[in-house]
Amino acid sequence: MATISQAQVKESTVKRARRRGGIFDPTSILGYFMMLPAMAVLGIFFAYPLGFEIWSSLTDMTLGNDAKFIGFDNYSRLFSDAEYLTAAKNSVVYVTSVQAGKFVLGLGIAILLHQKLVARGFWRAVVLVPYAMPGFVAFLIWKLIYNPDVGSLNILLTKLGLIDAPIAFLGDRDWAMASVIFATIWRGFPFWAILFLAALQAVPKELYEAAAVDGANAWQRFRNISLPGIRPVVLVVFLISTINTINSFEAIWLTTAGGPSDATVILPIFAYKGLTSFNIGQSAAAALSLVPVAIVITFFVLRKMKKDQ
Amino acid sequence: MARTNVKFSIFKYTMLLVIAIFVLYPVYYMITLSLRNQGSLWSNPTLLPASDSTLENFRAAFASVEFKKSLYNSVVVCSSSTILAILFGVMAAYALTVLNFRGRDTMGRIIIVAFLTPGALLFIPFAVIMANFQLSNTLKGLVLVYLSFTVPLATYLLLGFFRSLPPELEQAARIDGANRLQALWYILVPLVAPGLVSVAIITFTGAYNELLYSLVINVSPEVRTVPVAILNLSVADEVPWGRTMAYSSIAALPIMALYFIGQRFIVEGLQTGSVKG
Repeated sequence: MATISQAQVKESTVKRARRRGGIFDPTSILGYFMMLPAMAVLGIFFAYPLGFEIWSSLTDMTLGNDAKFIGFDNYSRLFSDAEYLTAAKNSVVYVTSVQAGKFVLGLGIAILLHQKLVARGFWRAVVLVPYAMPGFVAFLIWKLIYNPDVGSLNILLTKLGLIDAPIAFLGDRDWAMASVIFATIWRGFPFWAILFLAALQAVPKELYEAAAVDGANAWQRFRNISLPGIRPVVLVVFLISTINTINSFEAIWLTTAGGPSDATVILPIFAYKGLTSFNIGQSAAAALSLVPVAIVITFFVLRKMKKDQ
Repeated sequence: MARTNVKFSIFKYTMLLVIAIFVLYPVYYMITLSLRNQGSLWSNPTLLPASDSTLENFRAAFASVEFKKSLYNSVVVCSSSTILAILFGVMAAYALTVLNFRGRDTMGRIIIVAFLTPGALLFIPFAVIMANFQLSNTLKGLVLVYLSFTVPLATYLLLGFFRSLPPELEQAARIDGANRLQALWYILVPLVAPGLVSVAIITFTGAYNELLYSLVINVSPEVRTVPVAILNLSVADEVPWGRTMAYSSIAALPIMALYFIGQRFIVEGLQTGSVKG
């Protein structure tokens, strides 16, 4: 009994030694050497700015003054600032609608592309177009499409006799948010569609055949085979894309710049406006208020990845 | 049965056609508008290519010293940050997948956290720090700032490619007498070469499309990147649409061509990154 447990202990120590040496093993030294450039970059250009930002959010820093420590004043001021609260509310509306739209459109198009098709590669390439187009170009084009004086959407609606007077899609409070959301969905859905398609293609064909033999109809096969098959992909795509959408500065800056008045201001726009008026401490606090959301998302991504390995 | 198949086919291709129009219309619109004079936009509102089309805007773009300078700046900044990101990324992805050392998992997690951090979080400290170190309004400064997202992005994507290689390969090479670096350079790197192409394209376009940092850090005309130069065509709220669209076409079409040449690799790269990653 004792010998066995001793052997087991020995074996597990050997295993551990082989798995992970001390920090002065040749393998470890090579490992640290290989990680050094990436870690140095992240130390200087990620950790340091983040630390700097946290510190400045606790001061009354503006451009050129000596920053004075004021504790959490910036934060408490933010939460009673009407424009900040509007920006936070707009962010929620914007991100939820954009993500819902990208999901529906992305999944629908992925299912369509997954059917038997002539020239599937061609259609997939077409769907990729908005993603291949630089964002700054895409949003300038949408700004033009929505333009009340010369934009093609108004020309079209007028020619069809649907409207009498042009609509200022980006300048009218009732339309601005919806218009920006639509443009953002246009630019973002291909990422979802392409990855959903890849996930659908990875589901083994035999499962569908077996289900068909058992008499499952198309909807049942989709519900019970396709959906569970792509669920892990949906989750990761959703999380990564949500972070990018919360972050979408250019989508709004290039179309409405947050207007009319504050109708489409989201948090990155609010923080940027604060910076351009040199209110560094205050806008640092506004930018950092995104962190709790980022932490929650990062936590789920990391947990998901750990499970996959 | 045959009839439902025909009906379904008609439905499928009709849907695809609708999607193609939805997706391609803005590209068509950009190109037709790039051929218009500002004045004729009002006098001749049309949805078709206009009869008074002209190449004047493209002539103006290629004659503009500022615009050519901005193209040069973008290419320099984006290639430098891409090359560095791939170099650092290959080193890190190799270490994180092949080597066993203490702290490896923590370092892997740091990369993912940096990858997931939105740029909107860091532009404020970057603006201040770059100004403090006299690095704002320099191309060098922008390259350094871009490393903050190109390095995690490239590493994260490369991790997927390195993970897909069988570990026996590296071991076999070493049994045959290669040392670790030789095994990396002669065996692993050639095998992930298609991955490198996709990571290079994704990283380069990510940097090329970046607007916020560029807007905040590089303001003076001689260091502007393409997106900032195009925005600066507008004076106050007055947008010269024809010129803006001509500049946009010149900025966008080569990048889009790059995407379609590397399409197969890019889809694979996104997949490896998001699905397995």
